[in-house]
Amino acid sequence: MKTTPNRTPATANGEPRARKDDLIVKEMPDEVLVYDLVRDKAHCLNRTAALVWNYCDGRTGAAAMTGRLERELNVPVDERVVWLALNQLSKNYLLEEQIVPPPLMAGINRRQMMRALGVAAVVAVPVVTSIVAPTPAQAQSCRGPGVPCNNDNQCCSLNCLGIGTNRVCA
Amino acid sequence: MAATLAGSWRGLSSPLNITEAELDRVTPLLYASGSAALGWWRVRQTNLSATPSAAVLHQAYRLQALQSAIHEKKIEKIFRLLRQASVDAILVKGWLAAGLYPDGALRPYGDIDLCFRREHFQTAKDILASSEATDCWVDPHSRFSELESRSFDELFARSRLVDLGAEKIRIMGSEDHLALLAIHLLKHGAWRPLWLCDIGAAIESLPAEFDWDLCLGKNKTRALWIICAIHLSQELLDADIHPLPMSHRAKELPRWLVSIVLRQWAAPFAINQPPMSHPKPMASYLKTPRGLLKGLRARWPNPIIATVSVNGEFNGFPRLPYQLGNCALRSAEFFFHRLNTLG
Repeated sequence: MKTTPNRTPATANGEPRARKDDLIVKEMPDEVLVYDLVRDKAHCLNRTAALVWNYCDGRTGAAAMTGRLERELNVPVDERVVWLALNQLSKNYLLEEQIVPPPLMAGINRRQMMRALGVAAVVAVPVVTSIVAPTPAQAQSCRGPGVPCNNDNQCCSLNCLGIGTNRVCA
Repeated sequence: MAATLAGSWRGLSSPLNITEAELDRVTPLLYASGSAALGWWRVRQTNLSATPSAAVLHQAYRLQALQSAIHEKKIEKIFRLLRQASVDAILVKGWLAAGLYPDGALRPYGDIDLCFRREHFQTAKDILASSEATDCWVDPHSRFSELESRSFDELFARSRLVDLGAEKIRIMGSEDHLALLAIHLLKHGAWRPLWLCDIGAAIESLPAEFDWDLCLGKNKTRALWIICAIHLSQELLDADIHPLPMSHRAKELPRWLVSIVLRQWAAPFAINQPPMSHPKPMASYLKTPRGLLKGLRARWPNPIIATVSVNGEFNGFPRLPYQLGNCALRSAEFFFHRLNTLG
């Protein structure tokens, strides 16, 4: 196991804790999907990022997470990999509090990390991506003028008008 | 489109014989018609899975997985609110149709279709309008034109309860639901391939005790529509229709029907469907007749919709009489509406 020489606490105020509130979490076979109800954003965590997120219980530090990750993935893991995951999770508001990365992580992005760790470690590189795609077509049949509606997407005209206490499609 | 979606509702799909260029062409169509996740399901274990188009389809699948999780929470909430007010509701289409697929993320749905007893309808609407329910897109029905000869009590008696989270959700019985899916498909001209996938998925997952007489109902014309939609799913999407009794098998589908559906699938966009395809409201031509011919041409009915609108049969006869009948019906409705407005 490669480790960084200077161990630092995971955060300035304690160990990282995964955010639980206002999130919809869907576990898929190879990844975890997260929808942030507050920010209206969807994220995809690859297996490594998802494992690190799962370790964030407010008690486990980066060094202990590195050991757990090694055992789980059955490959050598550098502690910087855990920090990279924590950094991405933090930037995407998936931790209760923003983390303070140690100095060795300052300014290192994922590409630089992959280069620094070498090809052997690539399988363990954590990735948190935003899911951005056109909204899939609504499955329902659109509604014609005068038909009651709750929102614009339900109307063929894409315009749900409030008339008195009712709402109908324009 | 048809080749990509054939058997897409199965856990293990048959081999997909399309090229990367063909996948590139079909991907926007899959997206526009709500079938992108099914597209991903088809390509996920093929050599096309690493292509840029597959990546787009995969993103749709991920989004739908999240949307499905969000919708399920909303359905649970709505049923809790209705239960607290002792209002009976039957859930149809949407989540129920998604349940026919091996993965709930494969079938997107926008709103929650619920059917209520007529005497509960206003209470239900009040509940749906409450602040707690405003984030739920519920489409309340007291009847379905597709199932007009079946009363709520009949639908209720054949419905069943399933668990969703902490709630019991009442869903429409398999017989009525297949009838609804089939007639709904034809009523809307079968322009969305997803609806035919629903029928393929339904026919291949019928419960052992499925009652065909209940499904086909008492109206002979509607029974033939349902059989026609089932055959269409076999013809275009390779659905296995062996559960359909031999006595109900059609000799063959009218060729015009298959060709009309495929023509629509070449551009399966909601904007091509009436009334969005109409350049402007008909009433506006009464003031300014300019563009009337174009407006009338845009309103020339789809032969499938025309056949359903006049209770016609899907046979080999020309569709012109049905289309003319549909135009006459709509014109009468238009003038009746104008008279009421002016009067």
